[in-house]
Amino acid sequence: MSLLAETVTVLLNGLQQGAIYVLVAIGLSIILGTLKFVNFAHGALYLIGTYAGLLITLKITPTGGKLADWGYTTLGLGWGFLPALLIVPILVFVVGLAMERFVARPFYDRPDTDQILLTFGLAIVVQEVFKILFGGQSYNFARPGWASGQVGLPIVGTFPEWRLYIIGITATVVVLVYGLIEYTDFGLVVRAGTRDAEMVELLGIKLSRPYLMVFGVGAALAGVAGVVGGPLYAVNPNIGTEVLVPSFLVVVIGGVGSISGAVLGGILIGETLAVMVAIAPQWSQVGIYVLAAIVLLARPQGLLGAEEVAP
Amino acid sequence: MSLLELQGVDAFYGESHILRDVTLGVEEGEVCSLLGRNGAGKTTTLRSISGARPPEVRDGRIVFKEEDITAMSPEDISARGLSLVPEERRVFPNLTVAENLHLAEVSENRSNTVGRSLGQVQVEHVGMTTEEVYDEFERLRERKSQKAGTLSGGEQQMLAIARALKQNTDLLLLDEPYEGLAPQIIADVEDAIRRISDSGTTILLVEQNAIAAMDIADRCYVIDQGSIVFEGTAEKLRADDETRDRYLGV
Repeated sequence: MSLLAETVTVLLNGLQQGAIYVLVAIGLSIILGTLKFVNFAHGALYLIGTYAGLLITLKITPTGGKLADWGYTTLGLGWGFLPALLIVPILVFVVGLAMERFVARPFYDRPDTDQILLTFGLAIVVQEVFKILFGGQSYNFARPGWASGQVGLPIVGTFPEWRLYIIGITATVVVLVYGLIEYTDFGLVVRAGTRDAEMVELLGIKLSRPYLMVFGVGAALAGVAGVVGGPLYAVNPNIGTEVLVPSFLVVVIGGVGSISGAVLGGILIGETLAVMVAIAPQWSQVGIYVLAAIVLLARPQGLLGAEEVAP
Repeated sequence: MSLLELQGVDAFYGESHILRDVTLGVEEGEVCSLLGRNGAGKTTTLRSISGARPPEVRDGRIVFKEEDITAMSPEDISARGLSLVPEERRVFPNLTVAENLHLAEVSENRSNTVGRSLGQVQVEHVGMTTEEVYDEFERLRERKSQKAGTLSGGEQQMLAIARALKQNTDLLLLDEPYEGLAPQIIADVEDAIRRISDSGTTILLVEQNAIAAMDIADRCYVIDQGSIVFEGTAEKLRADDETRDRYLGV
């Protein structure tokens, strides 16, 4: 493989890796930007999305955990990937609504440290519940048959089809969220509310419902990330935490509340990881922290950070 | 009964007792002015009326259109036809002029996720349409695609008033609309307030600039250290040298 082909392959891998972080980070970012709520349980939504996706798409045999102890030999619906891609975001949206109503809302006026302790605790509880039910081992989330092959591309030769789908699905979702924030009354109220919530209420607009929606939409995005990201890695109870940390770095790099910032930050983190894996794999994790540190030193508010939620 | 009545209102910021037994009334159709020095309790009065918290109203009643609104949320009070143009304009600098204006009608729109049913609430004065607002404030039409944060102080004040007029408003509360504006711009804002008043909307104007406020008001109240110390027509206040000198410094 020529150097050029190798470079383009690495960049495409980085874009795909970044796409997952973009999906998780947009939700984190708009929730933090709008509600000023630090949600360490956002990774748990990704975890729920992945397991739900796995169980809707395939039939699996539990090999550990209580479900196996209770005698379940087959779990899951086996409906295929597309139904999962439609159902999981709705399911995780509802989980997000419940999380806002019963977990986040009572803590909006509390200090950041309280919010972090609460959501970090919740993330651990969710993770342990999945571990108890399904066991700590990994399940294989097979790629859908129609996208499991390689596709021919100029310069690079062949590239896994599924990774291109992830980039495409993420791009579509980003455009939809951008449109929601930029062109709807809901988005207008969210943008205004992050800047001056009291003034929005003085104009007769009740903010609790749009804020609930923000949480739900952010959760649904994590659900989408869980479904499309599931087939790339082994599915186990730790994946929520594993995706959360890089996604927080994406928010920090891109700027809180900025959707464009989350996209830019996600691509930068993904590319940094991919490049580091190619040239010095043992330093790949260090690379993303160095990147975050450099951005923070140069621009503490993040690359595209503003005071409000912005497209 | 007056359109708006404050009956013995005591309001607090934390443990600080700001308003002391404030009683005042605003009659339908008039321009009523609440005057006083900086820190006298003018803004606290308007915030108490509009439902903004803090302050906390611990005693007394606020009655609007014969309904007790003392403990209502700002959204519910706004829905009853009471609009506040707050101190420092509070336009949304990150939104365009058109978006700022559109926000004022979002709450009336029941087909979206943020609008809501107003039930039996009756508001007499239906809000202006966007076209009517642009006819009233030509400068805003010229700048409709511009971010509000890039407007001059006078233009932002016009936008804040225009935004309030787009709501269904029976009582318009104006908090220091002349603050920080050049004399020529003050005259423009005054003209706008007169036209709004002529159209039948009742106005409660809070001002430090007593001369300008007396020009435009039918009746005045003077507040000092959280208590009402004068009540009467603008002519009566003009003739009362002692009150003007002692509480307003003019």
